[in-house]
Amino acid sequence: MERSRWERSRSTNDEDPPMHDVFGAIYAADDRFSAALIEIAREFSPRLAIHSAREVVLDLAGLTRLFGKTQTIAEELRRTAAARGVQVRVAIAGTRTAAQILVRHRAGLTVIAPGAEADALAPLPLDLLVDLFPTPPSPRLRRAGAPNDPNDPNDPNVLVRTLKQWGLRTLGALAALPSDELVARLGQPAGRWQRVARGEDPLPLVPSVPEERFEQALDLEWPIEGLEPLSFVLSRLLDPLSAHLERRDRGAAVLHVRLHLVTREVHERSLQLPIAMREARTLRTLILLDLESHPPPAAIDRVVVAVDPTPGRVVQFSLLTRPVPSPEQVSTLMARLQALMGETRCGSPVVVDSWEPGAFAMKPFTPVETASPVLRSGGLVASLRRFRIPIIAHVQAEGGKPARVLTDRRELPGGRVESCAGPWRTSGQWWLDDARERHDGTREMWDRDEWDVTLADGGTYRIFRERRAGKWFVEGVVD
Amino acid sequence: MANHARELAESALRDRKLDRTLTTALPPLERVDAAALAATAVTPLDATLRGGLPRGQLSEVVGARSSGRTTLVLQCLAAATARGEIAALIDTCDRLDVATALAAGVDLDRLLWVRGQGSERTAQSAQATVERAVDRALKALNLVLQAGGFGVVAIDLVDVAPAVLRRLPFTTWMRVQRAIEGSDTACVLLASEPLARSAGGLTLSLAGRASWTGAACRSWRLERLEIATRVISPRRRVDGEVTVGALAIDER
Repeated sequence: MERSRWERSRSTNDEDPPMHDVFGAIYAADDRFSAALIEIAREFSPRLAIHSAREVVLDLAGLTRLFGKTQTIAEELRRTAAARGVQVRVAIAGTRTAAQILVRHRAGLTVIAPGAEADALAPLPLDLLVDLFPTPPSPRLRRAGAPNDPNDPNDPNVLVRTLKQWGLRTLGALAALPSDELVARLGQPAGRWQRVARGEDPLPLVPSVPEERFEQALDLEWPIEGLEPLSFVLSRLLDPLSAHLERRDRGAAVLHVRLHLVTREVHERSLQLPIAMREARTLRTLILLDLESHPPPAAIDRVVVAVDPTPGRVVQFSLLTRPVPSPEQVSTLMARLQALMGETRCGSPVVVDSWEPGAFAMKPFTPVETASPVLRSGGLVASLRRFRIPIIAHVQAEGGKPARVLTDRRELPGGRVESCAGPWRTSGQWWLDDARERHDGTREMWDRDEWDVTLADGGTYRIFRERRAGKWFVEGVVD
Repeated sequence: MANHARELAESALRDRKLDRTLTTALPPLERVDAAALAATAVTPLDATLRGGLPRGQLSEVVGARSSGRTTLVLQCLAAATARGEIAALIDTCDRLDVATALAAGVDLDRLLWVRGQGSERTAQSAQATVERAVDRALKALNLVLQAGGFGVVAIDLVDVAPAVLRRLPFTTWMRVQRAIEGSDTACVLLASEPLARSAGGLTLSLAGRASWTGAACRSWRLERLEIATRVISPRRRVDGEVTVGALAIDER
């Protein structure tokens, strides 16, 4: 269809005819000119695909109206590159595949008339196919960590090897083979490679989108102090930033706040968000809560808010599960709680793989909806109220058993032992260096005899005797 | 005469918009459905409570040391997380033993644990420090309740000195009550003695007794905790006593 329209227009006009598809490929002499190459290409066309640090393909459709002949476009491209100190090859053709193959093979300028791509490619060696579209390893092999399959039909190396065994040496020879016979022998991938050898595009050009910066800044006429005036400034910055993120279907993964102070210092904070979010109000609250606990030391005269973008979150709600608060709500709540209680004192508890008494860890609280609640069967389990730092006790023993337990604590006076069971000996971490001590003085290692005792006051306690020091402690209350 | 005085008091409360604290303002019992109750998953106790602890109300679990208060509250949290809800524990004195919470069946991923300062430090320091720890815990409770979405929220004030708790203004608990009114959250206050006395919530007064077993000295061990629970509720809507046993799990 395109070909016939082109042929009709050629028959009526001797000038360079109007074209629907014109692609140009620029190939730099060196990897170092990657940024300059992209900059030059963008000056000519917004639709460009970056194939490597040295190679860019441009959609030049419509540029003939500006420059005239395609030859002029090619010369202009090379002249602009030379002015920037970049040595390039340029090829222009009706298909990007042809332009890409030609620019790799021929130095200088190459301009192919539309429709003549197959003829131009015909004398070129088959080996050009190998570097053109390097085949990534299959997902199955990548998972297994195995090298490429030597007989993979999608691998151009395999095809080129087979074709050479058949005596073919050029792209023209491959293009001339009967397609149905070729596919019958070598499969569908061979058909695709044959179309490439004829200069046809296997896929449309997918333009490379320039990297967007999600950043807002505001210079203040008068320096501000305190968080209240800053909240208004943040609203002004975050509203357009949030709108920008929404337009691009992006969310903030990390939020960077840079406060330029009157002392010429920069107070910088980075907030790692648990999930991608872009609600301006939530982001502002999180920044303010963070600055509450890490306030800037001086007045602010410039505010910069930047975001590391990540793909937006798609949430499918269910009628069958109990809703949990949104991640934005949880993040805000956690930020408020951490500002109030301390950063390490809020979250979900985690049991650690250790025999150390009372060992646990904390992790961020990130609840998820569960489709099938876990129903537990079984009765009540007596719980222990654990003293994080065991309380020193004075124990009178009779017959090797505790007979009386006393402490210095007013709320835990102790008393006569009514009933007791033990000892259970437990030790650990004794292989560590004795010098390792915690900030509160208790050693990492433990070596103790534990007892359960019920005292005359009705309370049931877990006490233990530290064997190395010979001291007694109350570890907790069974409650 | 008594009725007249009562009417006067009630009309004065209505004028000040404090009539929600009146037991006569409570909805009739028949209108309470199962979704408005947070079951504890302790069958005899749920039967006595006619379904569980009321949601949108502040209930209390009180008792002496080793009466099973913590056991019962952890059971409520475990039941909530097993239903797919999220739960929170405001641990004023940092007393939670994570291993026994897990043994009680609490889904730790769905539990928000807010740890206050351990009273090991606070008891020896000035009373102002203890008061500040309680103040922070109450602020944290308000934040969690206002955030919403939690099935059960418990605050542990067991190891706070009674003198400090008595100094808290009574409006503290009214504010908590207002924060959860109409929500699906059952708030549980864990203390040594009744504090809130909410009009709509329940008070579970516990008494515990340790039960020991073993034929010989070597096999003697703590077997279970017998927990006697007395339910106190306004207007005796729910009333009764029940005794349950909590097994002592020995991880050693």
